[in-house]
Amino acid sequence: MTPAAVVTILITLAIVLALVVYLLLIIVELRTITADLNVVIAAVVTLVRQTVPVNDVVTTINRQLDAGVDLLEGLLVQKAGMQDAVGLVEGLFPASAPKSFRKQGRPKGSVPRIGEVYTRGTLILARLGREAPIAAGNPAGAAIRDVVYASASSRLLYPDPRRATGSSRENLPRTPVIGKDSPNQYEVKEEAYKPRKVLPEGAVAEGPPPVRAPTRGPGIFGAKADPAPPPDAEPEAPATGRSSAIGLRPWER
Amino acid sequence: MIVWWLGNVVLLVVVLPVVVILLKGVLSAARVIVPNIQAIITVASAATKDLEPIPLLLTTQSYIIKTVETVANYGGSLNVILDDA
Repeated sequence: MTPAAVVTILITLAIVLALVVYLLLIIVELRTITADLNVVIAAVVTLVRQTVPVNDVVTTINRQLDAGVDLLEGLLVQKAGMQDAVGLVEGLFPASAPKSFRKQGRPKGSVPRIGEVYTRGTLILARLGREAPIAAGNPAGAAIRDVVYASASSRLLYPDPRRATGSSRENLPRTPVIGKDSPNQYEVKEEAYKPRKVLPEGAVAEGPPPVRAPTRGPGIFGAKADPAPPPDAEPEAPATGRSSAIGLRPWER
Repeated sequence: MIVWWLGNVVLLVVVLPVVVILLKGVLSAARVIVPNIQAIITVASAATKDLEPIPLLLTTQSYIIKTVETVANYGGSLNVILDDA
């Protein structure tokens, strides 16, 4: 064997050895990758299995929500009219009017601006006996959930004769001042702050002066009540029957 | 004989380094894949845990159906007691 052949064999062996070493290392790495991919595939299969009903469920949920939105929008349009409905939606949810009322047909033109209080709705609620106002949103802030703001809005619906400006509670007359500092001082009776008088037995308590019956003037029948008797005349016998302003009754004469 | 020696030199200087370089490149690429696979495993496991409450969507669906039915009932009542525009 020539030296050239021996060198060739040695070089070839070196190449084969390098191939074997590196290919073995690559095989080890590929096996590791395969094992990891099996874990990944198992997790992905779990994901797929868990997300299978999502599409149907979400589609059903969206369909139900769309039905509810269509129902409420239709009711709002039916009761408030398209213009007011769009204004209310725009007032509560700014820039949402173009996305609303898909089935009812969006009105063309400018969207009406509903102010702080939707008067028509408030009147409807007032007619129904509800005090809660319908307040749409305004640039000053959310009013529909502001209890004080909303109550002030609804309070304007009811008559308040004492109110001059502002809240009626502030313009009510103040509670009168009593005691020594009162601007109105009254005389103090002598009996005040003293024990009650004890009268002896048989004594007649001083009562109020007797009330005199009013003398009757000439009536329409010309009779005179309480005529003054003559000094020497005998006192008239008491009538047996009931007398009236015009004298005895016919069966008593 | 000279040609044979030239062939040996070519094998030693060109073929052997080229084979080694190529195999080393493949091995490096295979070793880079492994950490990426590990990262994918972590993400997949987390996603699996995140998707565990998905069956609750069925409960949400039933609640939404009931809510819409209730809203429809209220809408019917409002339709009766409120005047049309």
